[in-house]
Amino acid sequence: MMKWLNLSLLFACALALVGVYVIKYQTLDIANEKKSLLVSIEQKQGDISLLEADWAYLNQPSYIEPMVRRHQDYLGLDIIDQKQFINISDLPMRQKTDADDAALTALFEVLDSGVDPIAALIEASSQ
Amino acid sequence: MSEAMQKNNPNIEIEGVRKARGNLTKGRIIIAIFGFALLFALLGGRLVMFGLADYSKNYQGQERDLATASRPAILDRNGLEMAVDIRVPSMFADPSSIIDVEEAVVKIRSELPNIDEKWLRKRLTGDKGFVWVARELTPNQQRRIFDLGIPGIDFRMESKRFYPGGEDAAHILGSVNRDNQGISGFEKYLDSQDVALLQELGFARGRELEAVNMSIDMRVQHAMRAELVDAMQRYDAIASAGVLMDVSSGEILALVSLPDFNPNQPHTALEPYNGVKGARINRITAGKFELGSTVKTITFAGALDSGLVKLTDSFDATNGVRFGRFTISDYHGKKRVLSVPEIFKYSSNIGTIRIMQTMGKDNFRSFLNGLGFDDALSVELPEITMSSIKEKFSEVGAATASFGHGMSITPMHLVAAIGGIVNGGNFVPPTLYKRSVEEAKTLYRPIISSDTSDKMRYLLRLNALEGSGRKANEIANGYHFGGKTGTAEKVVDGRYSSEKTFTVFASAFPLNSPKYAMVILVDEPKKENERTGTTAGWNAGMTSGRIVKRIAPMLGISPDFDASIDAGLVPKELLGRF
Repeated sequence: MMKWLNLSLLFACALALVGVYVIKYQTLDIANEKKSLLVSIEQKQGDISLLEADWAYLNQPSYIEPMVRRHQDYLGLDIIDQKQFINISDLPMRQKTDADDAALTALFEVLDSGVDPIAALIEASSQ
Repeated sequence: MSEAMQKNNPNIEIEGVRKARGNLTKGRIIIAIFGFALLFALLGGRLVMFGLADYSKNYQGQERDLATASRPAILDRNGLEMAVDIRVPSMFADPSSIIDVEEAVVKIRSELPNIDEKWLRKRLTGDKGFVWVARELTPNQQRRIFDLGIPGIDFRMESKRFYPGGEDAAHILGSVNRDNQGISGFEKYLDSQDVALLQELGFARGRELEAVNMSIDMRVQHAMRAELVDAMQRYDAIASAGVLMDVSSGEILALVSLPDFNPNQPHTALEPYNGVKGARINRITAGKFELGSTVKTITFAGALDSGLVKLTDSFDATNGVRFGRFTISDYHGKKRVLSVPEIFKYSSNIGTIRIMQTMGKDNFRSFLNGLGFDDALSVELPEITMSSIKEKFSEVGAATASFGHGMSITPMHLVAAIGGIVNGGNFVPPTLYKRSVEEAKTLYRPIISSDTSDKMRYLLRLNALEGSGRKANEIANGYHFGGKTGTAEKVVDGRYSSEKTFTVFASAFPLNSPKYAMVILVDEPKKENERTGTTAGWNAGMTSGRIVKRIAPMLGISPDFDASIDAGLVPKELLGRF
């Protein structure tokens, strides 16, 4: 009886030993993984900060203006002049064309009602 | 049978015990062998595991970077970054673990040739555990040095302040030192608020600080700076500056003072300019000047608002005004009786003195006080100065002050006053923070009636159409731009010199519904060519015109050439007179 008890205790000890060992190293691995994630997050944040700074730099008027000036001949960009502004209401109406307004209006009304006379013509000719 | 055996051989039992013991020992040895074999197999297996493990992914012993204090990003009113934190690697060494100092020195200098060889050798020798070698490297430099594989050399990430706009907003932003503490400008102001405390408590680690939205519009800021740089060259001036304010919210949209510096290299702020030390100050808030005739705008506003002077009045400007042995006369003398609008248009000193005298010098002085000229600037910059105006004016003191001499005010005070005069008569303290009109309305302080404000807008526009602002208006035609010039002679060896002048243009646009007030100054301008002059209309005025032409479309103001708009500005009492 005593023998079995001892044996089972011994076995339990061995099992516990292995268990503790495994858990200890698992914890270390997880801690390691956590740290590696933190480090990579910090690296990525650093990268993002650099990219953001790059983006901000590229968007600055002080960066864009010299570029425009350098390519002035090609781009032809200049400071907008007052006479380049105009109100929509100041635009002249489109000139009258010789298109048949009544016929066009009739066509659009027919199209709106779901009948396509032109498609019908094409179909008729292909049959 | 056993009894017989026992009798024949009494020792057999002892032998059996021994044998049994021997068997037991044998069994134990086998178990021990088995146990040890297992143990060694385990150890061996573990060794193999260690051998196969990838140590480049092991961060056990690696210390996390001690991020240096970080600062909030600063954005302009449209969200464009004006100042950001970037994380850059810095190289440090552990001299106690460097094996070959000579090799390390040669290798480091192959990548960073600017490092002094002797200094570096001294730095890397010794038993110290930590020394900085080179701070704020680029990621590429870090990778190349890392690839050299020098033992005892490592990197640590640090926060560094970066100003993507370079010089554009130098005087607004100021700069920071290597430990990321603000040393001038808005950065220093931020520190004086709460950032310093946060950093101290360790809360400012990482990037969790909320971005700060400024009132500045970087497009306008850049345009104003570009035009002022152009003005510096065009008129061969020693300095120039400008400020633009939203008259209804008090937001400063642009603030430039030349010569300036590069905030990314803070030491440039202290460099002399053309041999002059301290030339790179912020002239808008930290400089006070005799702003000349632009102050007449203030005098007129006060006099018209007091009700003692009307637009329809006339004053005799035939002869100069005598104070003891001094006589004050006009620059463009008309030598006749001038109406009030004419006095403004011709910038008559005599007429302005008469107007101020009608108002009363004590009323004039208290009106200046009401405009906030005696108060410290509300602007969020550490570089501010107080105006210097005598507490009580003498007769002659009041007379000269009415046309801007004998008292010094900062351009920021002036732009705030002009803003209040044209926006319907409400003074609003200028700010560098983004602010809504509703918010600003709670800060409004009435200075003149809206009726007087209408009259002042008419006068400012009149001066642009017929007076000294003509040249500015020709450039900014259509934007209903108007303002008052000021040309102050500088004091050289204790006397006013007509050679060296200080020119100012205080303006607002569009005057039919004022949105922005602007003050531009050009210090010691020379003639652009033979046909031009050195008075403010030629330099500060024309520069203002060019700036308005450039920024008005950005600010959503479209030109309008409808003549009825200018006609609508004429006050009813003057209708039919001109």
